[in-house]
Amino acid sequence: MAHYLKIWLASARYSLVRMMMFRFDFFLWSTVELVWIVVNVLMISVIYSHTDRMAGWSKYEMLLLVGTSMLIQRLLMGFFWSSIFEMSRNIRTGNFDFFLAQPGNVMFMATTRKLDPDSLINSVAALAVIVYAALQLHLHPSTLDLVVYASMIFSGLMIHYSILVSTISVAFWITNAQGIEGSYFTLTEFSRLPREAFKALAGRILFVWLLPVVVVSNVPANTLLHGFSPLFALWLFGAAIGWFAFTVWIFNRGLKRYSSASS
Amino acid sequence: MLPSLQKYRHSFLIGIQSNLVYRWNFAVRGFFSLFHLAVVFILWSAAYEGKTELGGFRLDQTITYFVMLVVLQFFIGAFNEDYQISEEIRNGLINQFLLKPINYFGYRFSIYAAARMVSGLLVIIPLLVALPFLKDYLTFPHEWWRLAIGLPAMALSAVIQFSIAYCFGLLTFWFLEIQGFVILSMAIEMVLGGQIFPLDLLGPKVLNVAQYLPFYYQMYFPAAIFTGRLNDWTLALRGLGFELVWVLVLLVLNQFLWVRGLRRHTAVGG
Repeated sequence: MAHYLKIWLASARYSLVRMMMFRFDFFLWSTVELVWIVVNVLMISVIYSHTDRMAGWSKYEMLLLVGTSMLIQRLLMGFFWSSIFEMSRNIRTGNFDFFLAQPGNVMFMATTRKLDPDSLINSVAALAVIVYAALQLHLHPSTLDLVVYASMIFSGLMIHYSILVSTISVAFWITNAQGIEGSYFTLTEFSRLPREAFKALAGRILFVWLLPVVVVSNVPANTLLHGFSPLFALWLFGAAIGWFAFTVWIFNRGLKRYSSASS
Repeated sequence: MLPSLQKYRHSFLIGIQSNLVYRWNFAVRGFFSLFHLAVVFILWSAAYEGKTELGGFRLDQTITYFVMLVVLQFFIGAFNEDYQISEEIRNGLINQFLLKPINYFGYRFSIYAAARMVSGLLVIIPLLVALPFLKDYLTFPHEWWRLAIGLPAMALSAVIQFSIAYCFGLLTFWFLEIQGFVILSMAIEMVLGGQIFPLDLLGPKVLNVAQYLPFYYQMYFPAAIFTGRLNDWTLALRGLGFELVWVLVLLVLNQFLWVRGLRRHTAVGG
């Protein structure tokens, strides 16, 4: 464990040094991420300027949900996106060899190499949206509630990471998987919707239970709003473990097919 | 005049061929837009719960508006033209165009027109698949002036879409990496172009200000004409005039950036 922590810290140091080298880039991307957060908040404000409730959720409850969804997404972008995004290109070009020669688990090395400090900075902005919504709702979560919420965010991050890595792992089979990461963003659109808005049974089965993109944001938000629900918490933690195990399996199956591309 | 246009016809035909190679990418993208429509449907159905109208429009009118946006996106939206131009500048591929009797804007626009023709026709397939689910929520007004003004508005929107992408592509003459600018601009374009929510929901004051910006004409204006969110033909005609002014402004800006950018450009190698 300490060995992996040391490797990860070295990668984090490298990413920070890189950020200091390209300061304007860092500033620009931080602004980009912040603007997208503002766009999401604006959308909620505009819709709620015409209605009081959506699927039983008030404006600030919805803001808490969207903030939670954005927090998970920003953490994913900050810790893993750049590395995972490069994976399909590295598999195609043969640069993936580089990770095979490193002193650690290949999936860990390939998906944690680069950090995006701009996304991590903006996870603070997403957190600010959550705190603002909680203050408007006069919520007073206990320390235990906050610990449970944080562990649910971690589980949500694990689910998003797993869905993304297993999607990109398709590149081991079809080689040219460029653009496939776009499908992840389409799926995350569902995580900003309240579970109660899914009226059709097919949509509920697909997006709430099979692909837990809705549960990922709804369960932590509901924990802050209405307290701990053991059934949904169990589903979230179970889904996180299940999806992660599936991802490790699919990644390793794909790795066996990897044949490099050198001449 | 006509012989000089022949070369653009050829680049258009080559554009069709090279885009047909990526037909599956466009088709997959088209099918994923159905997921986006599912999000739109779930979100706006929840917003309309217990209400017949929102901002003066019914749920079916709002769903029709978002379906129209998907159609426009695939027929006139600039997908990755900015990156392609940026790559050609960065890799020096643009040098070949400096020595040939062809206008780079014209060449790129013909490729863009070909690409959108392919992607536009391909998006019809997923929309036909979704038609049984969508048909109860599609409602189009029938006045003749909507086609007479909407189609030219759509054509001018295509020029605005492409021109903005072209401007961002040319920024590579000054900045090596333009991705940040593109994504930042995309957020602004999506809000002020009415792709996140219909602009009329912002109220008459904001809508009035938005009409003076080019983003309004990228998507919202033609979509509003076709789907009945803009119901006065004199206002539509006035909008078409503003759109034409923006087209001219952007074309001048394109030329200005091209001339200034080339002064900074260094062609290396043989």
